[in-house]
Amino acid sequence: MTASPQGTFRLRCAYVKHGRLAYLGHLEVIHTIERVVRRAGAPYAVTQGFSPHMRIAFTSALPVGTASDEEYFDLHLTAYVPADELLERLQAASPVDLAPYRARYIDLKTPALTAQITRMRYEVALQAARGFDLRAQAVSRALDDVVRAGSIPYVRSGKAKTLDLAATLVAAGASQAGEGEVRLTLDTRCGDAGSLRPEILLAALDRRLAPEVERGGPIVSTGIQDLAAVKRYSICRTAQYVEDADGSLLSPSRADGTHAAPLSVSSVPSL
Amino acid sequence: MRAVYENRFADLEPLLGRVEKPSRYIDHEWGTRSKADASYRACLIYPDVYEVGLPNQGIAVLYACLNAREGFSCERGYVPWVDMADAMRAAGVPLLSLEGAAPVASFDAVGLHVPHEMAVTNMLEALDLAGIPLRSVDRGEDDPLVLAGGPSVYNPEPFAPFVDAVLIGEGEEHLVEVCAEHRRLRDAGATRSEVLAALSRIPGTYVPSLYEVSHEGACTAHGYAVPRAGTDAPAEVRKRVVADFAATDPVPQSIVPYAKLVHDRLSVEVLRGCARGCRFCQAGMTYRPVRERGADQIVSAVMSGLARTGYDEVSLTSLSTTDHSCCRQVLARLNRRLEDTGISVSIPSQRLDAFGVDMALQVAGEKKGGLTFAPEAGSQRLRDVINKNVTEDDLERAARAAFEAGWRRVKLYFMMGLPGETDDDIVAIGRLADRVYEIAREVVPPAQRGGVSVSVSCSVFIPKAATPFQWCAQTPDDEVRRRQQLLLRSVRNRAVRVHYHDAETSLIEAVLSRGGRDIADLVEAVWRRGARFDAWTEQFSLDRWEQAAGEVGIDLRAVARTPYGLDERLPWEHVSCGVSRGCLEREYRRALEGVTTPDCTRSSCTGCGVCPTLHVSNVLAGERS
Repeated sequence: MTASPQGTFRLRCAYVKHGRLAYLGHLEVIHTIERVVRRAGAPYAVTQGFSPHMRIAFTSALPVGTASDEEYFDLHLTAYVPADELLERLQAASPVDLAPYRARYIDLKTPALTAQITRMRYEVALQAARGFDLRAQAVSRALDDVVRAGSIPYVRSGKAKTLDLAATLVAAGASQAGEGEVRLTLDTRCGDAGSLRPEILLAALDRRLAPEVERGGPIVSTGIQDLAAVKRYSICRTAQYVEDADGSLLSPSRADGTHAAPLSVSSVPSL
Repeated sequence: MRAVYENRFADLEPLLGRVEKPSRYIDHEWGTRSKADASYRACLIYPDVYEVGLPNQGIAVLYACLNAREGFSCERGYVPWVDMADAMRAAGVPLLSLEGAAPVASFDAVGLHVPHEMAVTNMLEALDLAGIPLRSVDRGEDDPLVLAGGPSVYNPEPFAPFVDAVLIGEGEEHLVEVCAEHRRLRDAGATRSEVLAALSRIPGTYVPSLYEVSHEGACTAHGYAVPRAGTDAPAEVRKRVVADFAATDPVPQSIVPYAKLVHDRLSVEVLRGCARGCRFCQAGMTYRPVRERGADQIVSAVMSGLARTGYDEVSLTSLSTTDHSCCRQVLARLNRRLEDTGISVSIPSQRLDAFGVDMALQVAGEKKGGLTFAPEAGSQRLRDVINKNVTEDDLERAARAAFEAGWRRVKLYFMMGLPGETDDDIVAIGRLADRVYEIAREVVPPAQRGGVSVSVSCSVFIPKAATPFQWCAQTPDDEVRRRQQLLLRSVRNRAVRVHYHDAETSLIEAVLSRGGRDIADLVEAVWRRGARFDAWTEQFSLDRWEQAAGEVGIDLRAVARTPYGLDERLPWEHVSCGVSRGCLEREYRRALEGVTTPDCTRSSCTGCGVCPTLHVSNVLAGERS
């Protein structure tokens, strides 16, 4: 194997987006991770052309304010470094709240992350607004109503859009997490029909939970939703999957068929 | 009672989802150096938003110097953008430092950076958000010591009443001395006034409250500052300077931000000072003498800085990087070392000659954006007046070299309203731009001519303190507007685009550059009327300034337009950058005669006075070309 600046190896890393760093925008995350890769001294590959840059690809953008337990990037390398060793170097060069926790070589021909991943899970923690009795049961009922409607109309950058729940929401559930606190879990699908932005669903739920509040107009997709029944909420993407032909869910870390490149010995928790 | 140093991030967090760019406020960046335990805490504040302030080299230097010292902890602060500032006021959250998310008012010292005149309203915005009394005289024993420093302190009078002490000149050693003395006195139980008196004895430290404004003798309408009777404050505060620049850390920058910045890269200061002697240029006077780092130090600093920060771009910064005697060698070595890494090198500006273009070519690689040249004035006569030692031939050669090398976009930078400027000089700007466009048509193959762009950017000359033009009046704003229209008509070629600066902002810049302590009332009045982020065009409002001026009885246009006499004492002459008054007067007279003065790093000493006065000398790493 001859070293080419375009890369001979492809490493897939899982990382988190936690704490304050949930407030980073997608481009800010990308810039930061590219810097982590350079600080780690990884033998990263660069593209050819007028403005050479690192060959690295990411999973779909997370909105500002949304945390994640499982994000991925694919990094092309010009030299082989044992995955465990590289993972340690990346961790040492990374802010803790954005640190990678799993690294594995994958086949160079593996499809891009954004093409492979079609299923995402979210967890949303809701805190009741003052004077509002927020219960899991009521949230479940609101969920049923919204799901029955099939779609949610909303406005993004002045354009009317529709969130197709039949195509994007696989399952949803609500449970009581404490006094005035409800945890919502969402199993979603993304693909040609688009993806589910949990905040749009939250806004629709809020209109069912507090129908008496005057809203003036349709749901608007913005950074953060002003809700009536909910004082604060936090959203976390808890998992991302590749759907197998038979419908079973695989971790993106092990959803590649063959392994032309060296495989790491790092353990991958099986699903 | 002093505000408590404690983490208040929980108060700020609920606001983050509702403001633009929350990453401005979250901290936790890579490479911070502050300490949880410290016996003395300082917070350095850049008076603009995070992404403008973070790249500032001065703060990076001082942050590193203070944190390197045992027992000292230094944090940073920025001014929240208007959306966040309003949300913080509504929620009762004071201005917080970044690292510790602690109230700025809980620090021992608060340092305000003064990058330019227009930052002054944001200095007040920062103090007010922090809950610190705006004026030094109103501060009590528990309030932090408010310091100011930076490039724009050579006329400190318009902001003097708002700060406890101004640090004049280079702060590497000076700020550490000031903080150490403050800590010693604090621990000994000294009062605020005892501290201020002691600080005024540290060379380079201007303590405005120990001075009063006098109008005795020949002076301007603003008077001049003299030490109050009974104090031993110095009549003249001379700037501090680091004699052995090469001994300072070449990569003080440690913090790698998340947010996309205005200058998002590693910076290595390769040289300090410039001796070209352009007569309008304040930095060219105030950063003397010239001190270069050696080529080996620069190359190793770049490599270690990149490895430590992970940036994909490094800028070799200074007032004129292509003047560095080892410029060619350094760029060649860095290009070799950085091959196939996707990391690029940049230099902030080019010398206006074929060498400058050659150096730009060294760093451009395949990607050639635009190239900017600064002839500053349109005619040779006026270039001689301002001592911009370039000829029309230099510009033609540089433009030809740039188009031949593959650049297609060239920007020409000029100033309008220079002393002695006539309509002929304005017409000459248009002619020069047309000439550059003709060169492009000669050089660029016909198929590529569509990509050719020549633009003219014309700012308004502001007479600045400590320059040979410090006596000059600003050209009236209505006259500036007339000349701008003349310039538009003078450019014959319609492919040449002309941009010019707003005459309204320039008027206020002139007021803040030329005024005295009386201007501080205007500054406070305009801030009370809502002025902040005045350096941002969309936030600036001349109406607000005019209303405030009416309220305090100041005629803005009179302040900007009244020339000062050579025999008058100026409002800022108690502060000195080391260039003698004699030199400034001589340069002013030579300007009127159109006589140029050479660069002392390429000829013999021209007698500006900096070296003997400050006991320093130019330090070059080689022969300059």
